[in-house]
Amino acid sequence: MALEGNVQDAAKTLALGLATAFGAIGPGAGVGYLMGKTVESVARQPELRGEIMGLTFLGLALTEAITFYALLMGFVAFFIS
Amino acid sequence: MRRLRAAAILALVGLLLAPAAAFAKSDFQPQEEFKLDPYVSIHIGGLDLSINKAVVYLMISTVLSIGFGIFVVRGGLRMRPTKAQNAVELIYDFVDEQIARQTLPASVFSRWFPYVATLFIFIGINNLISFIPLPVGHESSLGGLPDFALYAATANINVTLALTLCTFIIYNYEGVRAHGVIGYLKTLAPEGLNPVMRTLVFALELLSNILRLVSLSVRLFANMLAGHLLIIVSAGFVILIGNFAGIIAIPIGVFFYFFEWVLIAGLQAFIFAMLSGIYIGFAVEAPH
Repeated sequence: MALEGNVQDAAKTLALGLATAFGAIGPGAGVGYLMGKTVESVARQPELRGEIMGLTFLGLALTEAITFYALLMGFVAFFIS
Repeated sequence: MRRLRAAAILALVGLLLAPAAAFAKSDFQPQEEFKLDPYVSIHIGGLDLSINKAVVYLMISTVLSIGFGIFVVRGGLRMRPTKAQNAVELIYDFVDEQIARQTLPASVFSRWFPYVATLFIFIGINNLISFIPLPVGHESSLGGLPDFALYAATANINVTLALTLCTFIIYNYEGVRAHGVIGYLKTLAPEGLNPVMRTLVFALELLSNILRLVSLSVRLFANMLAGHLLIIVSAGFVILIGNFAGIIAIPIGVFFYFFEWVLIAGLQAFIFAMLSGIYIGFAVEAPH
């Protein structure tokens, strides 16, 4: 069974899909853990809610950045090479 | 008033979802939106200083950032603040308490608070105006007027790298100013470890210091680029897959548009300013 079609286009599409998929695993787990810890600490000390929310947003942005590194490489493979 | 506002927002989103010229073309190239063709070509001795789409957006956000503070303060600050003064005071208090007081140590606070505040306001305004459709598309329809499109000046690695280089030079300068060159390098490796571990930790800390250049710039760049590409691709999804079932992507695109505009634009500016403050703080007083 021979491969039909453009192998290069198929490889580029595959690269984009795999980069997005694998890049979302780690940060997904990380953000879930972070929000769980936030809920836990607000339940322990409700009066610190404002400060904890500030730290939560900081952690969210830093963790989400990791998925964008992977997505960026996928875009580079798809659109540029 | 509410109905007028809702109608205005719907009209804005509608401007985006009308890829007029794209229906005429058979291929859909979203990456062309991020290609910069010069409007006014200026070449000085090998440097390309042309005025292109990104430069125009940077100029607009500069005027807005400067006007944001100056026109309120020039008019005279009052005890009963006007709405504009209220807004400026809100932003100032936010940057003061949530960003600068948390990260900058007292010895350098008054020196670098304007820098951190400028980073927040400039990047924030750049990110926010990138969601307003302006006639800067790469194709034209309706008699020569370029298509309405979105473009973010910070979706360009040159812009974010320039801002990151400023932060890099500033925090290294502050570290050298506070400890001296040898002392600054000594703060990278903590005291109470045996020499083998110390050299290892020193090498790792030096590497992570250099990689801050990459991570700080790419974080902002990739967030803005990915957000805008997602919106463009979901708006043109019908053309991309050549099948009207792609209409399902339009509500997803609208959701991402509002999610990005309301949350990610300001959050990324906050993160950039906060990390700059943290790096300056670590260089002056390392928390080891």
